[in-house]
Amino acid sequence: MSDFLPFLVTQCLNALSQAALLFFLGCGLTLIFGIMRIVNFAHGAFFMLGAYVGYSAVHWTGSFWLALIAAPLVVGGFGAAFELGILRRLYGRDGHAFLMVTFGLTLIMGEVIRLIWGVEALQVKPPDSLSDIVFIMDEPFPVYRLFLAASGIVVAIVIWQFLERTRLGLLIRATSQNAEMVYALGTDVALVRSAVFGIGCGLAGIGGVLAAPLVTASLGMAPNAVIDTFVIVIIGGMGSFLGSLIGALLVAFVQVFGTYYFPDFALALMYLIMLTVLVVRPGGLLGKEA
Amino acid sequence: MRFPLAVAVVLALLPLGLPPYAMTLLTEALILGLFAMSLDLMVGYARLISFGHAAAYGFGAYASGNFLLHTSMPLPCAVLLSGLLGGVVAIPVGWVCTQARGISFSMLTLAYAQLLYAVAFKWTAVTGASDGLAGIPRNPGPFGVTWWDTKAGFYYLTFAYLACAFLLCRDLVRSPFGAVLRGIRENEAKTIALGYNTRRYKIAIVAISYGFAGLAGALYAPFAGFANTELLFWLLSGQVLIMVIVGGTGTLIGPIIGAIFFLYVQQKLSNYTDSWALFFGVIFIAVVLFMPEGIWGLLRSRFPRRAA
Amino acid sequence: MTGTSGFSRRAILGATLATPFVARHALGDEPIKIGMPCALTGPAGEIGAQMRRGAEFWAKSVNAQGGLLNRQVSIVAQDTTGDPATAIRKAQDLVEREGCRLLFGMTLSSEALAVAPKLADWNTIFVSGDNGDGRLTGESFVPNFFRPNTSGPMETRAIALYLRQADFKNFYALGMDYAWGHNSIGVFKDEVKKSGKNFVADIYSPIGTKDYSTYITKIRQSGADACFLVLQGDDNNAFLSQAKQYRLGDKVQLLTSIVDLNSIHAVGEAAVGLIGSSRYTFSFPGEANAKFVAAWKQEYGVVPDVFEGEQWQAGRMLEVAIKKAGSIDADKLRPAFETVEIDDIKGKVAMRACDHQAVQRGFMVKVGRKEGFTDPVPELIATFPADEVTPACRQMTYDS
Repeated sequence: MSDFLPFLVTQCLNALSQAALLFFLGCGLTLIFGIMRIVNFAHGAFFMLGAYVGYSAVHWTGSFWLALIAAPLVVGGFGAAFELGILRRLYGRDGHAFLMVTFGLTLIMGEVIRLIWGVEALQVKPPDSLSDIVFIMDEPFPVYRLFLAASGIVVAIVIWQFLERTRLGLLIRATSQNAEMVYALGTDVALVRSAVFGIGCGLAGIGGVLAAPLVTASLGMAPNAVIDTFVIVIIGGMGSFLGSLIGALLVAFVQVFGTYYFPDFALALMYLIMLTVLVVRPGGLLGKEA
Repeated sequence: MRFPLAVAVVLALLPLGLPPYAMTLLTEALILGLFAMSLDLMVGYARLISFGHAAAYGFGAYASGNFLLHTSMPLPCAVLLSGLLGGVVAIPVGWVCTQARGISFSMLTLAYAQLLYAVAFKWTAVTGASDGLAGIPRNPGPFGVTWWDTKAGFYYLTFAYLACAFLLCRDLVRSPFGAVLRGIRENEAKTIALGYNTRRYKIAIVAISYGFAGLAGALYAPFAGFANTELLFWLLSGQVLIMVIVGGTGTLIGPIIGAIFFLYVQQKLSNYTDSWALFFGVIFIAVVLFMPEGIWGLLRSRFPRRAA
Repeated sequence: MTGTSGFSRRAILGATLATPFVARHALGDEPIKIGMPCALTGPAGEIGAQMRRGAEFWAKSVNAQGGLLNRQVSIVAQDTTGDPATAIRKAQDLVEREGCRLLFGMTLSSEALAVAPKLADWNTIFVSGDNGDGRLTGESFVPNFFRPNTSGPMETRAIALYLRQADFKNFYALGMDYAWGHNSIGVFKDEVKKSGKNFVADIYSPIGTKDYSTYITKIRQSGADACFLVLQGDDNNAFLSQAKQYRLGDKVQLLTSIVDLNSIHAVGEAAVGLIGSSRYTFSFPGEANAKFVAAWKQEYGVVPDVFEGEQWQAGRMLEVAIKKAGSIDADKLRPAFETVEIDDIKGKVAMRACDHQAVQRGFMVKVGRKEGFTDPVPELIATFPADEVTPACRQMTYDS
């Protein structure tokens, strides 16, 4: 089938662009969990905040590129501040405490965003250079999605190198293994935690601003994002950076091809994957048992 | 025992003084209280955190909804049967979910709930799909009993179910079975070393917990007169978990208070302002920071039990 | 305002002078409270906000003319977040605690379906502002429910009638995977077959779908020259934005059942070229509409949107009914409402006794750029007579 190859290529690119967005979300959540054992229920709200901050940045300066920088900085900064102010008091307490606090934060953020930006969806326009179409084997494909896929790859490499090569990355990996030892070595574990929470939220923020041209900035972004993120991270293994990458790719590919061939199962696909993975490997593909 | 008894007496006498709209709210609060208490069995006593408890609730609602709509089964029977069914169906679910531990366990419960949600959305014949089942009657049954048609009547029925469920659960957690659960909660490895098949205990508590949740849902359907897919949605699962934590885990009565608190505050706040979610969130964070043991924990520290 | 208003200022003055103590005492009495449980936050929040604005604007204009039955009208809106359980709770609260005898709101049809069976017990009449589900005037009909607005089947029918005179031959359909989506596409499929054209396939996306690339691919591959969309809110915005990025509109004409200004504002350029059925657009002709739009603009600074107009029409019909009945008591109001006729922003609209659906015209619009507006705007391209667009009593499909 001479039609099949272009179809396959474009669908793979679709899946890659989808995986990129899922990865931004999942990577942040898994880093946070790996270090702090916190299930950040507010992760979707940070994602949404990124989209809205991106909207305002484009609105005021006309530059999408500026928005790409502003969103993670603002969202990450806010996340770090929240960690410093509230979360810090809760270490040593039950997991329930974090669940409640991040749930409360989601409610607060959702309402504050509604108060500031209103209840209507807002358009975030990508720059003209990215709004065009390319022809891949005669099939039209949006440049923006190629940009998304490329961003995902770039950020994945950056984070990987960051974890492997930098001092902070080393500290993060060490803290996730054994926090007490790191403390004994004289490092401020508290600082590592704030940094990680900030970075995790910042990643969600980038995800948000990158997603906005595809779905518009809207109040419904948060609840959907939360569930998707949890699923990916669980599939990949909570706390595993590589796991979040694999989880994102797996879910994106199965969703794209699954929805194409079995549209009736579109809603259930993601959960079926998760169920299958967890039954076979309860800690997720690359995770440690919680 | 004093406090639960006092609470019970208050709840029993309230209908005499309350206006009808408050009665309806209180009835719904008690149903949610039963729902929350059922979750506490898992969360508070066995540290099995379910992210998908709404599945049991919704299942119970659909079951009793179908019984009441399509058969002439009297209301209490439909409700009890639905609860039982919910518990039985939860056994294989529990078996699958307890393959994993910790957060993976929670996510498996979520997966089951979301899959049920997806199925309910599609299975129009049984669930009415996204529209749900409407006009669910409160069947009188063969003896023509209709006292549960009135607000006060249904309230007392709900209260009776809640009270019985509470007593049953309390006996359960105080029994040797409950002791094993607490062993699993504190140190599962040690409990296994002592020779207990912890997996079986976990599956059992999941089934019992889901069963009581199903009972709550089965009560909701004739209460509201409808059942729909929102009752299976993960948002409700999150809310009931919050009710348990706010009320105080591992106390049985705490979650009931948590449910009443949650519903009441949400209703009052949303009557006054569109930004009710903001204040709600702030309240939760405040509860976490200042009431680490939940509301029940706070009450207990204010009125400490005299040492035996 | 035009309409069958029987109470001119002179009449009120005359009545006040003629019946001294009682009438004067009645003025400034208990206001008529209309409970409005609607989605003000959550995914449907944008629609609920429109409905509330429409209701408040109507109440304000009624009160400026002396109110109804010499009583001021007050709208008591409460947030349901679009959840049917909350809707029931709020409706109960409004009826039992606030003493509302009338209800607006119930943004989602699932909320309306949950509340409808309770209306008889509450002895309260619910006037729909946006509920589209065909069943509400069909198998799920209850006597205390009235629908002044266009229903889902009616808006689909308008599209179908338009397509009979258009050149498109092969149709695809994409809808949200719940009652409204299935309902509307079912009607559409029927209509396409009746007109002898080809219905290629239909597909449903789960509510909350964010990535439509697969669906866009399928539509593109199907060989259809037109695609019927039954999407709303975030899903609609996401699809339109992405379809534009894939340049789907170049190959396949997109037909939609909802064209609202908020959506157009959210997707911008992606809305240009859309052809759709419109329940209400500010650019509809007629003096009544022009007056309404001007007054709205003065109050809110922007032109009114779909659900704001529909809610206004609902208010107007209720207003006429109440004046006719001389009471807000359900048993008196019901028969009066059943025979209400108005000539207002959508022209002549008449309530039908057999199923409480208002019989009204159908409108098709096309979205395009217009001078003086920053966003693209919908322009009227076809109008269909009321008796062709409204289905037979208690029906959701059409015979011819």
